[in-house]
Amino acid sequence: MEKVMTVNNVTKTYGKKGEKQFQALKGVSLSVDKGEFVAIMGTSGSGKTTLLNIMSTLDKPSSGEVTINGKNIAKLKKNQMADFRAKEIGFIFQDFNLLDNLTARENIALPLSLQGVKSSEIDSKVDKIAAKLNISEVLEKYPAAISGGQKQRVAAARALVHEPAILMADEPTGALDSKSSRALLDTMELLNEKDQVSILMVTHDPFSASFADRILFIRDGLIDEEIKRGGMKRQDFYKKLISQLSENAD
Amino acid sequence: MIFKLSMTGLKSRLKDYLVLFSGLSAASMIFYMFLTLAANPSFLKSSVAGQLTMQSTKFIFSFGIVLLAILTLVYLAYANSFLLSMRKRDYGMYMMLGAKSSKIGQLIFAETLVTGLLATGIGIVLGVGLTELVSALMVKQLGLTLAHFNPLYLPAVLWTLLFFVALFFLAASWNAVRLTKTTLINLLKEDQKPSKLKSRPVLRTIQAIAGVALMATGYWAMWHVSTLQLKAIPIALVTIVLGSFFIFDAFFVAVIDFLRKRHGFLYKGMRPYTLGQLKFRLHGYTRILSAISIMLALALGAITVGINFDNLKNAMTDVMYYDFVLVGKQKKLADKVEKIGTEEKVTYSYKADEKKGVLYVNKSEIDRTPLKIKMYNAASSDKKKAIDKEGQIYHTVKVTSKTLTGKQTTATIRNSAQAARLFPEDSSKGFVALSDAAFAKKKLTTKVIAFYKVEDFAKNNKKLLKLIDQEMQLFSKNSMTYGYLEFTKPVLYQQIAAMCSGFEFMGLFLGLSFLMMLASTLMFKILSAAASDKLRYKMLYKLGARNSVLKSAIRKEIAILFVAPAVLGSLDVLFGLKFFTLLLPDPYFRIWIPFLAFFLLYLVYYLVTVKLYQGIVLEETKQD
Ligand SMILES: Nc1ncnc2c1ncn2[C@@H]1O[C@H](COP(=O)(O)OP(=O)(O)OP(=O)(O)O)[C@@H](O)[C@H]1O
Ligand SMILES: [Mg+2]
Repeated sequence: MEKVMTVNNVTKTYGKKGEKQFQALKGVSLSVDKGEFVAIMGTSGSGKTTLLNIMSTLDKPSSGEVTINGKNIAKLKKNQMADFRAKEIGFIFQDFNLLDNLTARENIALPLSLQGVKSSEIDSKVDKIAAKLNISEVLEKYPAAISGGQKQRVAAARALVHEPAILMADEPTGALDSKSSRALLDTMELLNEKDQVSILMVTHDPFSASFADRILFIRDGLIDEEIKRGGMKRQDFYKKLISQLSENAD
Repeated sequence: MIFKLSMTGLKSRLKDYLVLFSGLSAASMIFYMFLTLAANPSFLKSSVAGQLTMQSTKFIFSFGIVLLAILTLVYLAYANSFLLSMRKRDYGMYMMLGAKSSKIGQLIFAETLVTGLLATGIGIVLGVGLTELVSALMVKQLGLTLAHFNPLYLPAVLWTLLFFVALFFLAASWNAVRLTKTTLINLLKEDQKPSKLKSRPVLRTIQAIAGVALMATGYWAMWHVSTLQLKAIPIALVTIVLGSFFIFDAFFVAVIDFLRKRHGFLYKGMRPYTLGQLKFRLHGYTRILSAISIMLALALGAITVGINFDNLKNAMTDVMYYDFVLVGKQKKLADKVEKIGTEEKVTYSYKADEKKGVLYVNKSEIDRTPLKIKMYNAASSDKKKAIDKEGQIYHTVKVTSKTLTGKQTTATIRNSAQAARLFPEDSSKGFVALSDAAFAKKKLTTKVIAFYKVEDFAKNNKKLLKLIDQEMQLFSKNSMTYGYLEFTKPVLYQQIAAMCSGFEFMGLFLGLSFLMMLASTLMFKILSAAASDKLRYKMLYKLGARNSVLKSAIRKEIAILFVAPAVLGSLDVLFGLKFFTLLLPDPYFRIWIPFLAFFLLYLVYYLVTVKLYQGIVLEETKQD
């Protein structure tokens, strides 16, 4: 299986030398296959966001290696990193996703505009992804005027419009009610299955995690366990996950 | 506890505070300087001629103070609202932590007052330095010597303090009332309020068209000031104020909306963001941008007109033909005048009957070398009609015995010859021209008077002024001759020059302080939004916008916010200067100077704003 991303023995220490230091990641290794949907779970403070930031080039590891699409991101210069993010990665965040002074359409178009894509192409791509995510009606509205679930789908559209190698999501359902969460997760699942979009999702919510093919558990800066869905139905996988978590808690 | 919190709050906002602080200090500094120059009694007291000029200087600067006071008031209101917006969240936090609102009220009050007082104190200290500099400059320009001028003038210190303390007291009370009346939730969420971007395209289009139409009307009125006369002022005032408001409220937004619909234009790099952000901003900036464009026009106007007054002094001295007068036989003084280089010299002997008010002149003497005076070209007061082929509005008239005695001349020449007071003694009952013999027989003392025209009057004026000063010392202060000498060309020139320099300096300093205050107001406004923009830039960074791209987007966005009112303000000035054609020979003379000064100053403010803003919003994207 072709790998979109590998993380090799990555550590991250916060704080400068001589100051109070804190090791948030203590040697993490993992890989994501092309078209795979991976969830990362862990308690608050376990290092999930830190890991995601490193994998998405937003932060640098203290040691270790990250490759995305065969490229070692440590070798990239700052501007190349920005370009890399713009081209290869799509982001969905828990909140503050959308720029509130741009319409939904402009929000989705922005990554393409930044890459210098032709305007005619931008319009057709935006319309296509909007139709897929069922947000065509709200394209001309400002974020303040659309619902939370729609906002998150607009954010997903923005994350996917430039066809990135990997979609990264940090608590994408954190600010949504259960119905909107469900709709977003269904969309992500669909994109993953039909369009072979690779997804890496950070969450502490077992329901969200149950949509993934594989779940990694992180604890105190280390990957401590991994469970695979195999051919299991989602509902069954969810039950397995719950029992696993209560076992861990004991 | 609360005090400690407040101090840490202050520390975290130190940079913003420094900006606010320097703005407030500059205001009090300039205020102090004006006050000192205008009210200081020892200023310019040292010379006789200086006493005369002091009156006009005083008047001019007092006028400046009134204008400056009004501006300071407006400026402080803006700066204060910046201060308020800066501290709102902190105060909300204290309240949430359980501080009583009355306690918070006291804290805000104290904080505003202390900030204000400190800034005023520093401003006064700087003001003393500035006054030293400016007075030295003025003295050099006017060629006066100052005996006991002290830039530290206590009454000015007290008045400046009093004025600013009163203003800050008002501001402090206002802040305390405002903040304690706002609900906690609003204080905390101030930054996150969703932008109200109601689109009412029809109304906006009407407003945009009305804005352009109003501006056009205002400009038209100013351009035709010679036909509209004073009516132009109220017309222009109303249309331009309203027009500017509409232009910013609707016209620019309409342009942005138009551009946003053109996707071919829109989808280029950061443009979607910049335009979205601008529209979002303009909504809240309407008032400040229109105020800035108008005040900027006033500032530029003040500088331009100020510079022009310098031009006026030469025009005004054209009224007199002779540059110097010697009453009586003054051998020593005559030598000194001749050393300067005389172009023309005429000497007359005459006899005065002071009881009757009649003057006797020697007919052959005056007809041999007639006395010359300057006459206005036309009888009407229309300046345009008065300009002759050589571009002059005065022509030289030769005064002979016939002119003097009124036998062969028009009433205007006779009147103006008398008004010019050709001789020191009373000639209210007229002149009598006598033959040599009759003149010799008249039983009155023979007096002599010499009139000089020197080479390059403007250059030699200061020397002539000293000589006139010496000549005046020879007569008692109550004598007619003393009064007569006070109205000779060097003295008048000096007076006009003092007035012009006064206007020039006032225009310059008032204009520059206007500009500084405006630019810092705009800076405050832009920076006060930086905290809430931070998230947006973080977002863009995550989306893969290069840091350099973000920086250039910020430069562009702020540039537009600076340039828009500058363009409108410059247009206002260019048309507004037409007003001064009624008053000045050429109001557009050397117009590039104020524009250049303004451009440089504005550029500095722009760069500082960009730097500070980038520092705030790109804080988290700077990692190596
Ligand atoms: N910039 C930083 N400087 C110092 N320590 C940090 C920094 N960012 C995170 N940490 C610490 O590193 C650890 C991991 O943080 P991280 O944000 O990755 O946790 P998380 O798993 O995402 O938690 P949550 O579920 O609450 O979002 C935490 O203990 C946190 O306090
Ligand atoms: Mg996190």
